Amino acid sequence: MEEFALEVKDVSISYRILNNVSIRKTLFHRRTRNEIFEAVKHVSFAVKPGGILGIIGQNGSGKSTLLRSIAGVFAPNEGTIDLHGHNISLMALGVGFKANLTGRQNILLSGMLMGFSRQEITDRMPEIVAFADIGDFIDRPVRTYSSGMHSKLAFSITAMLETDIMLVDEVLSVGDEQFQRKSLAKMRQLITDESRTVLIVSHNINTLQELCGQVLWMHAGEARELGEPAKVLKDYTEFMAG
Amino acid sequence: MIYALLNIAMLAAPPVFAWMIHNYLRHGDLSGRRKAVFLGVYIVLMNVILFAASWLRGVKTLDFNQMTVTYRLKWIGLGIVLGFVLPFFVCLLTEEQITLGGFRRYILRFTSDIRRYFPYAMQSARADLESEVSGSYLNWLWWLIEPVCMMLIYAVIFGVIFSASEPYFTVFIFIGLTMWGFFSRNVSASVDIVRGSRDIITRIYMPKFVLLLSKMLVNGFKALVSFCVVICMMIVYRVPVTARMLWAIPVLAVLFLFTFGVGTIMMHYGVYVSDLGYITGIVLQMLSYFTGTFYSLANRIPAPFGEILEQFNPVAFLIAAFRNAMLYGKSPAIPILLLWTFVSVVLVALGAFTVYSNENAYVKVI
Repeated sequence: MEEFALEVKDVSISYRILNNVSIRKTLFHRRTRNEIFEAVKHVSFAVKPGGILGIIGQNGSGKSTLLRSIAGVFAPNEGTIDLHGHNISLMALGVGFKANLTGRQNILLSGMLMGFSRQEITDRMPEIVAFADIGDFIDRPVRTYSSGMHSKLAFSITAMLETDIMLVDEVLSVGDEQFQRKSLAKMRQLITDESRTVLIVSHNINTLQELCGQVLWMHAGEARELGEPAKVLKDYTEFMAG
Repeated sequence: MIYALLNIAMLAAPPVFAWMIHNYLRHGDLSGRRKAVFLGVYIVLMNVILFAASWLRGVKTLDFNQMTVTYRLKWIGLGIVLGFVLPFFVCLLTEEQITLGGFRRYILRFTSDIRRYFPYAMQSARADLESEVSGSYLNWLWWLIEPVCMMLIYAVIFGVIFSASEPYFTVFIFIGLTMWGFFSRNVSASVDIVRGSRDIITRIYMPKFVLLLSKMLVNGFKALVSFCVVICMMIVYRVPVTARMLWAIPVLAVLFLFTFGVGTIMMHYGVYVSDLGYITGIVLQMLSYFTGTFYSLANRIPAPFGEILEQFNPVAFLIAAFRNAMLYGKSPAIPILLLWTFVSVVLVALGAFTVYSNENAYVKVI
């Protein structure tokens, strides 16, 4: 068995802020300055197979950017991310759906984008639909959904189509109370599975304390502390209080 | 005066065009001096090649006083086509970052991505088609009604009021409308396609041209429905059946490739230039008149220009070739068809290369 399921080495990610050039601007203002904003600076860590890493930090400290980069949405500017051939999925609030398509069609499309075959998805379809528990809405266009239903469906897709590595971005509080309990239980079951590696981004200290084997504290793009949950979380709470 | 301008345009426009493509390939990281050197190289190189072509065709002197306008336009047209192709070879020979190995890597990545994501594009296109009609009363009949109505309008206006005389005029228009519609819809859609799919591409990775591919499959399906109408109408008009009709298939394949190439490039600029949609609309509207959607360019536009336009405007050439094959039992000009196939492949390569090397940035910009 290999030593690590996921290795992140010296990763930096920067944004160049140059959005929305219009033709008028390019004609009449030569060369606007391109500001570069570094969202993640030289972060390294590794997670063992079956390990659970929690990531905590203030808003805008680069947690989600890092997660998206690990999921492959964009490549880091520097450094390497090695998944050792595992497949991966990013579970985030309101996964990208096509608003005009029905829930069922969106399940199929999201699954195919995650790399599953049509057959695998149709096999799991009843499970996903049952877990999402949104009744007749499953056959209506996603634009008619309430935000709660939206996230319930999103959660069900990523929870039922299991991948080796799961990236979880603050989804532990999805939907109404009943669904929250159900999803938390499902999360526990998925997370505690020996073979599954999980990264969780959350602000909820209790959850992290309970689930994680390791916690990474990110501050202003840098990895400030990495280690035992109890210690890191304590330092973080003290920092936030003071 | 006009001729002096035309002389300058003739000698300068193709090299400048080639030079722009070269800079584009190098992503603007050339120094100012190097750029100037390359401009010089292209002015010499392009004009030598163009003159060589003219020599082979039998015009062995460049006499500006006796030159016909046709000759000048052909020179410029061929120059622009050459301008697409030549920079690739120049880059291969002069730049160490752009190598054959690099091209091979990109080709492998492109083919494996197409193979991997094609099922998704197909499924997405199917779902889009379904959702488009599921809410309406006449549902899929709209795909038939819309083109048939458009055809009736044009047939009345141009056939009766302007008394056009091409044989099988209604079918003639219908073919033009369908093919041009396919091209222009995809190109104008490609401008906003990355912004429009924001929700998906900020959550999961996919090669961004898959978005365009899926859109093209949607429009391609609608075009196929229209072509079924064309076949029905051909039966009604008793158009003679010949083996040359098979030429329609490669012609459509080239149209698909060409549209994909132009679309990927427009898609890239659409991400950065927020008002590109307006310009594309205007340019497409203008081009539609230079494409002969509802009249024959070769017959309607005064003698040399119509034919030149039909050879050097790819969409016009493809439409004319399709009409000739299906309606009049004529084969297309094979060298020109091959030329446009080649240009389309180059465009696809350019577009895929651009999208691959910038797709990281798209997600951050939108």
